[in-house]
Amino acid sequence: MTAVAALPDDVARVSHELPLRANLSALDNIALIPIYQGHFNVAESNRQAQQLLKQLGHADIATLRDPDMTPAQRFITKLARALILRRPRLVIDRPGAMLYDVPYPAFIRHLAAQAETTGTWEIFDFSWNQALYRA
Amino acid sequence: MNFLAASIESLGAKVVGWFTVGYGMFAFLAQAGLLLLEPATWNRATFDVVVKQVYFTAVQILHVFLGYALVISWLIITIILSTARDFGLTEFASEMAIRVLVLELLPFLTALFVALRSGSAINTEVALMQVNNELDALAHCKVPPMQFEFLPRLVGGVVSVVTLAGLAGLLALLMGYLAIYGVNAAGFEPYTRTIAKIFDFRIVAGLIFKCALFGLAVTLIPVTAGLETPKKLFMVPVSVLRGMMRVFFAIVAIEVVSLALKYI
Repeated sequence: MTAVAALPDDVARVSHELPLRANLSALDNIALIPIYQGHFNVAESNRQAQQLLKQLGHADIATLRDPDMTPAQRFITKLARALILRRPRLVIDRPGAMLYDVPYPAFIRHLAAQAETTGTWEIFDFSWNQALYRA
Repeated sequence: MNFLAASIESLGAKVVGWFTVGYGMFAFLAQAGLLLLEPATWNRATFDVVVKQVYFTAVQILHVFLGYALVISWLIITIILSTARDFGLTEFASEMAIRVLVLELLPFLTALFVALRSGSAINTEVALMQVNNELDALAHCKVPPMQFEFLPRLVGGVVSVVTLAGLAGLLALLMGYLAIYGVNAAGFEPYTRTIAKIFDFRIVAGLIFKCALFGLAVTLIPVTAGLETPKKLFMVPVSVLRGMMRVFFAIVAIEVVSLALKYI
């Protein structure tokens, strides 16, 4: 898994090693990126973040903070944060460590179908979990 | 002989440790200072965090703090007045009360108040961010932690301590007037003359500078102590303990140097 940590800067990562900022809501965690990278104002950044959550089918989690989220909601927020980075590659690092209470290959497939992204999505997982993806 | 060598080694290690901590703090402060001058730093998100910080550090506790300043001021003024009367030095009482309270005691107590309430919270929060990898996550998203997390805390701390000490000082001046002259305008002229005599430009500038240093001490030291925390959850209380001890020594050192510069 060192390989994942050493990925270049143009890769957006979703990993249990990259947590959300605990005292910010889901919306704030996502909106930070357009504010600091795109130099958008707060209202526009919030709108983009809300739009992304809506696209992923979870607009209702916008006000939740990390400790109040379920593992799936936390994963969706991390995914939205990675998507709003608009990097060409998105790597999901050991999804089983984040989505331990849902059948995650199907869950991620469903989210990927909803997200309107142009880049590639890659999943890094343990080899013994390969069978899960064939289902 | 072995004992002597071990003692010297231990002392040397401690001195090196103090220098490392001191260097780390000044390097952090220099980095923050440089960033403060960059116009790009002042985006809406950073400004919002500064406002939040000032709100949590100063506004939220304002009523408790002013009540506490009121009681302390009233007590100290009463003690000074009755002692001055006993020794026949009543004409010096107002100057003495203002000097003790407004220039020394209230800024010092304000710094302690903010350190205990906000400094410890900042230390804990930064240590937890460090342990939980939240800073790495921010860096991965290219959100600069210095700009988003630390600089607003430093600015907020300085603004809060200067403002709270100023408000407490004004309250003490009012208390002093009421205690000495009562509720009438008869003493307004001599009292304002005494105030004008004490508060020349040098004293006011020194007071603001001292409060700003207090504000920096109660935020900078907890932030750097939090960042030094090893990535182990059980080290968070140790980090807060170390940070708060350093804050206490820094506050006392600032006060002692300020007194020495003023009166020696």
